Amino acid sequence: MSLLLRLGIYVPVLFLIAIVITGQHQTTAADTVRAAVARTVRWLVWSAVLLGCMLLLEVLFIGW
Amino acid sequence: MVHQNASHSLRFLGWGPFLSGFVPGLLQWRLGQKQRAVLAFVSCTVLFFAGWMLVRERLFYWALLEPRTGGSDVLRAVARFGLSTALPELLNLPAHMLGGLLAWDGGPTGERLWRMPRDLEHLGAFLTGASGMLAAFWSAAGHWQLRLQRDGGDGAPAPTANPALCAGLSWLVPGLGHARAGQQGKGVLLGIAVTAVFALGLVVSGGHAVDRATASVWWIAQNLFGGGSLFAALFTGPLRMVGEPFDLQLGIVLCTVAGLMNLVVMVDAFTVAERSVFPLRRAQEAVA
Repeated sequence: MSLLLRLGIYVPVLFLIAIVITGQHQTTAADTVRAAVARTVRWLVWSAVLLGCMLLLEVLFIGW
Repeated sequence: MVHQNASHSLRFLGWGPFLSGFVPGLLQWRLGQKQRAVLAFVSCTVLFFAGWMLVRERLFYWALLEPRTGGSDVLRAVARFGLSTALPELLNLPAHMLGGLLAWDGGPTGERLWRMPRDLEHLGAFLTGASGMLAAFWSAAGHWQLRLQRDGGDGAPAPTANPALCAGLSWLVPGLGHARAGQQGKGVLLGIAVTAVFALGLVVSGGHAVDRATASVWWIAQNLFGGGSLFAALFTGPLRMVGEPFDLQLGIVLCTVAGLMNLVVMVDAFTVAERSVFPLRRAQEAVA
């Protein structure tokens, strides 16, 4: 599966999960969407950090 | 409204009510609601046996821990008394035990029957599973009544909607419980989110992601979205697999994630209705 296709599934699903998670702390749909966008961006940053860490470990223990 | 802080609202109702929740209607009976108690017991039992007629011994094959020959003696001993560790049927304990007792055959013939696919088994699996979920919602309704008696007093207002009913509605149609509790816009948004992830899972797996026979442990979580699980049982589950699906594993994971998302939605729907009677204090009020 190409990287673009993986991202095309990962990012929207992450956003939909964020809607459900942030919805618990909001009462309206508009507030929920706003909070979900911010949460998705935060999770994407953490995903990138995690990916970077795993790549680093791979380079350290397996080599380039 | 009855103002409470968070720690008070989380106080446990006790092991008695918790364990009573495994027998549909027992909590209602203890609360003096005889008609509701009978309705709870009959509805759960009828639903279970409607499915059991179609699946019978298959319940042991779908169990979380299969009591097969050469496996755990404890599991086999427990299964002999009708307990098959099948979830969510276990939540409807009396019907589950009776169904297990009637279907149990520990010999090789019995084990062959566990593994033999049945006609309409997808529908049967949904119905027996739905009986367990229904038992859980009746239990939640009983716990809500106990909570009202304990914390509400005489001056407690009526909730915008019954919290257990809101949770049950959300199980069938994600977001419907929120709409019933007064948060229509949020309900629609949550419903779209859960349904979209579930639908994506079915599409990438060619409709084969929700199948209790091939992915029984995953199905437990997928069944937390009852409407999706019913759709799969009726339309996509019985489809013959022709060719390799686009990505079966991804589909199974996505449908499972959708079910877990709906668990959050159900709990939130319960909480939204609950807080119409017991709102949480704001932080400042709590400090003051």
